[in-house]
Amino acid sequence: MRIAFAGNPNSGKTTMFNALTGSNEKVGNWAGVTVDKKTGIIKKKFYSGGETLFAVDLPGAYSMSPFTAEESVTSTYIKKEAPDVIINIVDATNIARSLFFTTQLLELGVPVVVALNKSDINKKKETRIDTVALSGLLGCPVYTTVSSSAKLEGLKEVVGAAVALKGKEQKAPYTAEDGAPADLEAAKAADRKRFDFVNSIVEKVETRRQSSGEKNIHDKIDAVLTNKWAGIPIFAVVMFLVFQISQAWLGAWIAEGVEIGGREIPGLVTLIDAFKEWVAGSLSHANVFWAALLTEGIIGGVSAVVGFLPLVMVMYFLIALLEDCGYMARVSVVLDPIFKKVGLSGKSVIPFVVGTGCAVPGVMACRTIRSDRERRATAMLAPFMPCGAKLPIIGLFAGAFFGEASWVGTLMYFVGILIILLGALLVNKITGFKNKKSFFIIELPEYKVPSLWRAIKSMCQRGWSYVVKAGTVILLCNAVVYVMQSFTWGLKLVAEDAPETSILATVAGPIAILLIPIGVRAWEMAAAAVTGFIAKENVVGTLAVCYGISNLINTEELAMVEGADSAVAAAFGLTKAAALAYLMFNLFTPPCFAAIGAMNSEMKSAKWFWGGIGLQLAVGYTVAYAVYTVGTLITDPASLALLPAILGFAAVLGFAGVIVAIGVHNNKKAKEELAKKAL
Amino acid sequence: MTETIIAAVAVAVIIGLALFYVIRSKRKGRKCIGCPDAKGCPMVKDGVCSCNTKNK
Repeated sequence: MRIAFAGNPNSGKTTMFNALTGSNEKVGNWAGVTVDKKTGIIKKKFYSGGETLFAVDLPGAYSMSPFTAEESVTSTYIKKEAPDVIINIVDATNIARSLFFTTQLLELGVPVVVALNKSDINKKKETRIDTVALSGLLGCPVYTTVSSSAKLEGLKEVVGAAVALKGKEQKAPYTAEDGAPADLEAAKAADRKRFDFVNSIVEKVETRRQSSGEKNIHDKIDAVLTNKWAGIPIFAVVMFLVFQISQAWLGAWIAEGVEIGGREIPGLVTLIDAFKEWVAGSLSHANVFWAALLTEGIIGGVSAVVGFLPLVMVMYFLIALLEDCGYMARVSVVLDPIFKKVGLSGKSVIPFVVGTGCAVPGVMACRTIRSDRERRATAMLAPFMPCGAKLPIIGLFAGAFFGEASWVGTLMYFVGILIILLGALLVNKITGFKNKKSFFIIELPEYKVPSLWRAIKSMCQRGWSYVVKAGTVILLCNAVVYVMQSFTWGLKLVAEDAPETSILATVAGPIAILLIPIGVRAWEMAAAAVTGFIAKENVVGTLAVCYGISNLINTEELAMVEGADSAVAAAFGLTKAAALAYLMFNLFTPPCFAAIGAMNSEMKSAKWFWGGIGLQLAVGYTVAYAVYTVGTLITDPASLALLPAILGFAAVLGFAGVIVAIGVHNNKKAKEELAKKAL
Repeated sequence: MTETIIAAVAVAVIIGLALFYVIRSKRKGRKCIGCPDAKGCPMVKDGVCSCNTKNK
């Protein structure tokens, strides 16, 4: 038996789906978190009987007439796949809006059970809904439910009712006039009629103590946090604090260890180092290659990435708290006016916010955008927001070159936003798009004290994903990198005094030439940048393998490598300007292959896809070049090599030339098409 | 000699397990291994990933 979970966006469908099936699908307190259908098996404890119940979680929809790709997933599934029963999840705090979709579902003839979700909020606000009367008026069972992880109420009743309704007929309390509306006005009139019917039901069943028009404490907080002028500085301060706590305070203490009351408590990195040394000691008489492959290539490479786990997990925890308390949804509102000015959809903000966790769901979230041009532009620009996988790279360079300064991480996010804005303007120019006014409507969740349990759960899930990636993709890459670094093309072990004869050096060497204008000369850095396309954490892993350093957090070890504190940066052979440039190069060039694949599937256009990859390469290189050149001119002008600087400038001019040429070509084509149409 | 064998076997087992996990995940239709919130398929039905069905 198949049960479809349908309802308005942000009504709690995925939360209920997770509770019933035990899945861990991403949930959020804003609309558009689910963009594709998900299937799971409902746990036996929620119903009696031997039949297996398949639950199908559908993306949120306001109507059966889809406007966006994810809404069409819902309407197509319900109309064509004919589930046995529909559980319609209704946001109990706003039934006036939700019942519009309910009345459309009831017309389809498929049995419907209505779950008035988030009923605990109604209790707090003393809003009462007469479920018996509502059930009578709609002609289907209605139950109040709470499906948050802390509390579960009414789920057994809902599933039980759904099982009992299988095969039964559903009568509709309201039926639209036959046939599709003749025009837009007719469609609007039909919708108004339906809303009138819904409002008549709401009047009969709902009693509110608090009028939705009254200003409350939430509105007062919103007036500050989403203020036109204060919103962005507040966001900057919040992000700075997030980085300070995760990279310099709590995260760093857990990673490096801390001294409490004169007693040294070892950190994760110290423990990993001790394990690595124990393995190396146990294999002291083994063949040098096999022992080193295990200790330096596999354990060393993976532990360099895992060493950043505390920093990343603390950051995930803080972001989860910000999401849960309702702040991240407000960030969308703060950024929306700026994005609209550069021709992006107001909805583009959501993919950018989601992209801070992982670029893949960030790009997938673009399908909530209606316009093809805006959706493709957003998918192209979303990877510029630094994702979770890029945090270890930020942590590494901020720690090794800038004394764990939190401004480095915060700056990377704001540079990402700036690139998105400039990139959107560039895309407008290239495509000959004239900016049109668009609207962004988002339901802001109420402020609440964030749930520590949810934040810990989210942190652990994301932390586990990080460990899984480190133990699989990163591990395999590090092993390959180590083997390539250890052998020559003649399959002989590389001599200690000739590392440039290794397979890795000869492959990465030519790429390193391209990086000279951004201040990077080492083939190891080029190899790390290339392996970063497989997974961005690989940059850290590859550097660890190539330089033979597994502890990239505790900078004392780096100091020991060079023998002096002042030479910490020299371990990588970079100046501060070059380090910042290299960091930005890794952050703003194309994302990992998984995100590139997501871009391809969302854009559905080879022209846009390759244009996007080209733009990302050009932007990443240009930003890195500008940072290195300007940074060096400010800090140490004498060290700037003239020839690489000129060649780099020529490359940047080349990128600009290609973009202008494409823009002129497209504009000319658009004008010709317009002229043809005029004829 | 024994230590070399232990090291080689350990490398083989670790790499083998990592490869097994990657291949199994790809067969399940995972878009990105180890990416937070990016698992496209919560369930495999009849050997077919739910996000790879014709109705996607």
